[in-house]
Amino acid sequence: MTQVNEASLISTLLDRIGGLGCIQPNYLGKATIQVNADSIRKIIEILLKSDNTAVIVAITGLDLLEKLGLMYHLRTHGSIVTVRTEVPKDNPRISTITDLIPGANFHEREVADLLGVVFQGHPNLARLVLPDDWPKNLYPLRKDADLQEVTAKLDSCLCSTQPEIEQKQAQKETGLVNIVVGPQHPALLEPEKFSLTVDGETVKVVEPRIGYVHRGIEKASEQRTYLQDIYLVERICGICNSCHAVAFAGAVEKILKTEVPTRAKYIRTIILELNRLHSHLLVLGHAGLEIGYETLFQYMWRDREPIMDLTELLTGNRVVSSSMTVGGVRRDLKEADVPKIKTQLDILKKKLVFYQSLFQNETSLKMRTQKVGFLSTEDALKLCVVGPVPRASGVNTDVRKDEPYEAYGEIPFRTVTRTEGDTYARLMVRLDELNESINIIEYALDNMPTGPFRVRVPRIVTAGEAINRVEAPRGELFHYVKSNGTAYPERVKVRTPTFANLPAFLKTAIGESIADIPANFVSLDPCFSCTDR
Amino acid sequence: MRKTVLDFWLIFRVLIFPGFTFVLFLTLFCDWVERKIEARMQNRVGPAVAGPAGILQPLADLIKLFTKEEIIPSNAKKNVFRIAPIVAFSIMVFAMCFLPIDGSSAISSSGFVGDLIFVMALVTVANFLLFISGWASSSPYGAIGAARVLTQFLGYDIPLFLLALTPAFLAKELTLSAIVSSQYIPFIILAPWGFVLFIITLQAELEKDPFDIPHAESELVGGLETEYGGGKLAFLHLTRDVQIVLGASLVVTFFLGGPNGPVFFGLSGFWYSLWFVLKLLAIVVITEYITCLFARLRIDQVLTANWRILLPLSILSLALTITMTTWVYPSVT
Repeated sequence: MTQVNEASLISTLLDRIGGLGCIQPNYLGKATIQVNADSIRKIIEILLKSDNTAVIVAITGLDLLEKLGLMYHLRTHGSIVTVRTEVPKDNPRISTITDLIPGANFHEREVADLLGVVFQGHPNLARLVLPDDWPKNLYPLRKDADLQEVTAKLDSCLCSTQPEIEQKQAQKETGLVNIVVGPQHPALLEPEKFSLTVDGETVKVVEPRIGYVHRGIEKASEQRTYLQDIYLVERICGICNSCHAVAFAGAVEKILKTEVPTRAKYIRTIILELNRLHSHLLVLGHAGLEIGYETLFQYMWRDREPIMDLTELLTGNRVVSSSMTVGGVRRDLKEADVPKIKTQLDILKKKLVFYQSLFQNETSLKMRTQKVGFLSTEDALKLCVVGPVPRASGVNTDVRKDEPYEAYGEIPFRTVTRTEGDTYARLMVRLDELNESINIIEYALDNMPTGPFRVRVPRIVTAGEAINRVEAPRGELFHYVKSNGTAYPERVKVRTPTFANLPAFLKTAIGESIADIPANFVSLDPCFSCTDR
Repeated sequence: MRKTVLDFWLIFRVLIFPGFTFVLFLTLFCDWVERKIEARMQNRVGPAVAGPAGILQPLADLIKLFTKEEIIPSNAKKNVFRIAPIVAFSIMVFAMCFLPIDGSSAISSSGFVGDLIFVMALVTVANFLLFISGWASSSPYGAIGAARVLTQFLGYDIPLFLLALTPAFLAKELTLSAIVSSQYIPFIILAPWGFVLFIITLQAELEKDPFDIPHAESELVGGLETEYGGGKLAFLHLTRDVQIVLGASLVVTFFLGGPNGPVFFGLSGFWYSLWFVLKLLAIVVITEYITCLFARLRIDQVLTANWRILLPLSILSLALTITMTTWVYPSVT
């Protein structure tokens, strides 16, 4: 993605939006544009037109007591531009932008669910994360929501069967077979539901339903201190736990204007790349399982074990590393461990050569993954997908390159892209990224600076807000943190990669054979633990 | 007096050796061999706890399943649902009784003319019963799994039958015992093309990778067995395992000379069974090896492979066999 310098970006923005809003440069990304709720569509349209690679990253809803704040975070020229507006709390209506950019669909539905903003003109504002029989006027993320009422309601909503009954009736009318994948299903390791309407073996309609394991982490983090929150957001996802911790800690550091020591940045980078290594090995093995290639699955997961051991060596924990803190990392890298890490990485590197040749030459594997789940470059941009998914469709996007965080600015590496856009390409991008990750870790170990590995920061964070982006293994991870000058954050918003990638599956599954659904789905590396924060 | 002795001998042969009990334990043993080989191929240990090297694991699994509660879905076709797995299993074992395991088959020592066709027909019927058992469960997964069994079965049944005629043409006989006794030179040497194609088609018949479409658990949960549990599931599992043994036995009988082999001392029946089982294990190892090497194909890819590649090839193979038996081999054999 072409990098534009800040001044020119802001001056073009000023030109384009004219008198519609006022610009605040270098705030919440490259710039924040404050507009009226009426002109939101115009502004978004202008921003989308000015850059054909512009996508919507997230929509953050905020409770500002009298009003509800809405922030549309767009990624244009590789960096974030935030459009912020306000709607009255008693009549929270705003026009939808889903028709301008289809990727906004789920973001709007989530805000509608949790804060009760009505997006006028949205194609389907049905429940997405909350249970279907949730009361109409109870919005969990509003400040006036009574916590006891919310928890009591959650308990009573657990055994709702209403939608299933409705579905069965619909099925009788159309005569098509309805196959429900999930909430419990061997193909999904996590409880989510996709109801597929199939005609013979061809999929006609896919209806997603998430939220089965929604833990309300965004709300829960408002009741905890910043330090406790690091361990809370880390538990959003077991696989990419360090990414969440770094994204959150980074946002808080931005509010505090703390400069993290270079050594801490390098150690963070190593842990983040270890995360990527074991996450990619996991999904490649899982893909093998989904296409009935059990041997590949067993091999990949066997080779994932040493990476987990390395994480343990570095941080003391195998899975959830708990090694990040605001202002650095909690444990220093021991010099004695460096050769151990390098030996393991060398072994993995040799094995990768074997996997490369396997993926390139194994006919049955290619037959099952090539030309399956094709996602064009245009669709990848329209649906605002992130990470290896658009990279396999020829979109060169990588937060590590676009807006280097931690030590990525100083480490040379290649962004892997492919142009085929199918399941095979998505798997191959991950396979090639494994090599890059190993190189990054080796470079970081060789060029590890000396010095402190953390700085002390105050417990009470000054008032302010910040966004932070991290390239998690599954794609761009977005955190927004607002501080109100106490030890507790006012609002934490997390947009996880899978939440952004789901529309790609819904788009590519239509018209495919039911046998291709698992392979196509797993090539997005879905994580519902992430999706249901 | 003489008649009762004969009857006792027949009952012994059908129920104990080489009939039901022997087949049952051979099946469990083959299951263990398969699991162990697959595990080693995949860098795992495999069954290791029950018995030495886990050899009793399949038996333990079987006993466990029989002790479980049996649940019948309310909208299933109850009688069919209950009976189909047992009948399918019985038919498979019945077909095994016609194979000359210890030199002669369990039911009658010399078989009857055309028992080759009878055994192949039994295989077809047993597969159809598996389809019925899936369909009777009235669950979408079971129904789709059953439909896939049938679709795939239509594709490979004709090639399998054509290829089964290869030994019949070579021996100029339709009796299994005659086919075996005419293999002074095993037919694998006379018709290696038939052997290779038969193994590939068998892979589809046994529903193993790359053709294990009906049990694609990532798409169909358990396929036709989704709604089954307890003893009925045990019978479904057993049916599949006996099917593997039966398929391998067919290969042994058709191409590897059946129980033929040197008899060193003592009972000839012992040595014949030993050779038969060893050859059978070799075939099981080959099929398991293929299973580990490939990913599962899609149903349309399998059908294309069956109709466009396997069927023409098996017709060609049969033509080649007939040509060879008519003009080349008479001088050899």
